[in-house]
Amino acid sequence: MHGPQAEISREIFWNIVGPGFPVEQVLLYILVVGAILLFVRGLVKSGFVTRLKVAFEATGSDVERVNDPWSRLWYTLVDIFAHRKILKEPYQGAFHFFIFYGFLALLITTIIVFLQADVIWPIWRVWFMKDGFYLGLSLFADIFGLLAIIGVLMALARRYFFKPKWLDEKGEDNVILWYILAILVTGFIIEALRIQATEVNPASPMNPYIWFSPVGRTVAFIFAGMSEVALRDTHKVLWWVHVLGALGFIIYIAYSKLIHILMTPVNIFLRPDTDQPPIRTMPPEMFETAESFGIHNVEEFSWKDFLDNEACMRCGRCVEVCPAFNTDKPLLPRDVIQDIRSYVNQKAQIALDPNGTYQVLADDQYTGPALIGDGISKDTIWACTTCMGCVDACPAYILQFPKLIDLRRYLVMMESDFPAEVLDVFKGMENNSNPWGIGAHTRADWAKGLDVPIMAEKGEAEYLFYVGCAGAFDDLNKKVAISLVKLFKLAGLDFAILGTEEGCCGDSAKKIGNEYLYQALATANIEVFKSYNVKKIITLCPHGYNTLKHDYKELGGNFQVFHYTEILDTLIKKGKIQLKHPIENLGTITLHDSCYLGRYNKIYDQPRTLLKALKSGSLVEMEDHHAKSFCCGAGGGRMWMEETLGTRINQKRTQEALDAGAKTVCTACPFCYTMISDGIKELELEDKLQAIDIAQLVVRAAGLDDKIPKAAESGEPKQEEATE
Amino acid sequence: MNTVVCLKQVPDTETLIKIAGTGIATDGIKWVISPYDEFAVEEALKMKEKMKAGNVTIVSLGPDRAIESIRTALAMGADTAVHVNDAAYYEKADPFATAAALAAAVKGLEYDAVFLGKQAMDDDSGQVPAMLGELLGIPVVTQVIKIEVADDKSKASVTREVEGGHALLDVSLPAVFSAQKGLNEPRYASLPGIMKAKKKPVDVKKAADLGVSDGPKTVVKELSLPPARQAGRIIQGDDAKAKAAALAKALHDEVKII
Repeated sequence: MHGPQAEISREIFWNIVGPGFPVEQVLLYILVVGAILLFVRGLVKSGFVTRLKVAFEATGSDVERVNDPWSRLWYTLVDIFAHRKILKEPYQGAFHFFIFYGFLALLITTIIVFLQADVIWPIWRVWFMKDGFYLGLSLFADIFGLLAIIGVLMALARRYFFKPKWLDEKGEDNVILWYILAILVTGFIIEALRIQATEVNPASPMNPYIWFSPVGRTVAFIFAGMSEVALRDTHKVLWWVHVLGALGFIIYIAYSKLIHILMTPVNIFLRPDTDQPPIRTMPPEMFETAESFGIHNVEEFSWKDFLDNEACMRCGRCVEVCPAFNTDKPLLPRDVIQDIRSYVNQKAQIALDPNGTYQVLADDQYTGPALIGDGISKDTIWACTTCMGCVDACPAYILQFPKLIDLRRYLVMMESDFPAEVLDVFKGMENNSNPWGIGAHTRADWAKGLDVPIMAEKGEAEYLFYVGCAGAFDDLNKKVAISLVKLFKLAGLDFAILGTEEGCCGDSAKKIGNEYLYQALATANIEVFKSYNVKKIITLCPHGYNTLKHDYKELGGNFQVFHYTEILDTLIKKGKIQLKHPIENLGTITLHDSCYLGRYNKIYDQPRTLLKALKSGSLVEMEDHHAKSFCCGAGGGRMWMEETLGTRINQKRTQEALDAGAKTVCTACPFCYTMISDGIKELELEDKLQAIDIAQLVVRAAGLDDKIPKAAESGEPKQEEATE
Repeated sequence: MNTVVCLKQVPDTETLIKIAGTGIATDGIKWVISPYDEFAVEEALKMKEKMKAGNVTIVSLGPDRAIESIRTALAMGADTAVHVNDAAYYEKADPFATAAALAAAVKGLEYDAVFLGKQAMDDDSGQVPAMLGELLGIPVVTQVIKIEVADDKSKASVTREVEGGHALLDVSLPAVFSAQKGLNEPRYASLPGIMKAKKKPVDVKKAADLGVSDGPKTVVKELSLPPARQAGRIIQGDDAKAKAAALAKALHDEVKII
């Protein structure tokens, strides 16, 4: 007997379980057990278990994943229950929120009912589902069920009426939504049928409380004319439909992207606990002992990379923000993950022996499709700007682009297979320690006539101003270097440059996949830094900033590194630099956030504070800004490659600045500065838009200029042939 | 097909050249394979890959430091090397002395073709290829931009660059070929290539070991830098006609070319 044991309650299994032996109830629990077994079987059938087997063979190195488990758990719970990352996209965030909490509430309700009917009542003969608690539970379940329906409808509406171009569609996507909708709707219908057959009767003790099931009560009006027999028969049939549907859903989890319900929380817990999206470390000694570098066999990824594949539910947020995708290049970060996943399935078919053991086949034994080329195309591999948009957007903490770096490493270091124009970049870095290949002896020529302190003469200084290749060799960016030294001198900063002892930071080499060259460049710099006992470094370029600050640590270089925007911000706040001179003709200003300052290092405020401190022009934001800023197209070594596929990233970004109504686009990165300047020229917007680096504006507002002194202009002729 | 590549180590093309006596100051110089010789290395490697057999031997005359460039060529894929490491001989070597040393080293090897750059990027004399062919007693084809070797390795069809056009010719093998830009795109040494290169055999010899005693036939008397390039000048004038007149006057009076 399942109640009612109180007047304000309801009979559990009403109309299902009759008096006597509860056949239907027993059947239900047999079905539940069956569903769970079928779910487990589904994990095997769907290839999930096979893919995990491959994960166990993974040999790739990885970062710490389970340190500080309690804070990881807390972080995971907050991420799940507060939808911290999911809600960053309001619409899809909201419908996930509704479906999630709807499901959770209904799950809790079901568990309470189970405890009442199958545990507490049979054992202790206590009926707690009554009175206020029952009414509250009824209201709670109804409201959250309705929320879930709203969520599903929102998701369906997006798929059918305003499907974004970055959203892919597989059969399961629609099946899942309609399926959930069917379960929810049948749930409300059986509730309504029960209410119509029982509570609507004025004699029912529940009648006064009927609106505590607001949705069920409302739906019941549809059935108002039906006879009790018809109500009961319909109820019985739909109840089983609902139950079987719900149990089928459990099984379907194993076969579909619904597996993310289980795998995404695991991935959140195991997320990298590092400042940066970790790119696999290659210890220097590896170059003496290892025989293969980078990744070309899927087993060379780490076990965690395999979990990434399972945690991906194809939401497409990474695609939405990807600069390559948005300019029609064949790179969709989601598909990189999905393609690796399908590739694992494909390879497993070849590599599983008859006992089901996964065999890692040597290159000469394996003749199936190749990871590079068949699994992931080379065009995809080279399209990435490493802007980190994908990693930042992913609610499952999947590392998309770092996997491409692994593949680049193989192509570059093992096969010497890279875009032809990169050859001169590598040679330039090797022979002259700059990607342009301009004579290393001219590295400090920009500083001629500026009386810039040089470390070799000064001996030591509080700050090393690490100029970087762009500031030292590129005419456009020399003005930034000049502006900065003028400002540092004005503020009385104790600094020096390395002059010709400075070398390329190596960021481009690293991101193109030439770790060997990167480490040679980095090691040389670290040695020079240490020889002058350098503690604090100011960089002009965010790429140098990021590399010196984070990547050099792996090679024993621990320095306090600042980007110039941080230093200028501090100097202005301290009153060391006063901006008293208004700048004419700035018009509306917009800031282009550099990926390596913003997403990589969370420096969003200082550049904006500096622009506000100019007290000239007015600041607007582009459509994409802060963490969602759109790359200029030059990161990841793309600065040095031709952009032959799709449209040009820099032009898209330049257009965005124009669309924001800006007359001046400010940058704080030499790559961005170059790319946006080129975008303006390519789109012939010179009379509408100008690009300028923040340092150049600050120096003007301080009453100085960014002009190259006469002494630097004369001297050697420009060596433009160097880049041919 | 066995090939020999002669290469010279030269300062990187971006180097700031400082004169020291009748030579250049070598401090702080980044040394590289002379770019035309790099084409030669690449061509030999491509030929080996195409024929699927044979050895590529590097021959270089130079001091200790030249081993770096030899290793680079080995990293690209060459098999063995002969390093004529003789600083005293090298110091004084003119094109003839260089060709004599190279010829002596090449003579002891088995080869179907000898490749080298059309000139070294440092002294630009461009004489060694012809002298080498003469000393080896085999034909020389210079300024080559395309080579196709017959399957029986008896002859090659060669395209060479001539003023304003191309010349196509057949040559019997073995022969010396000097590489011109456009012959190929030299490869970037892979990391395994770099590792393997460290263990590849390099035969180190002195000039005397090779029986070369002929001294240089020329002596450098003086070395000087070209005059610094003048800054450009914008011709001023009220209108196009006046500017044209001013330009004509400058070209006539100052540059003296019209």
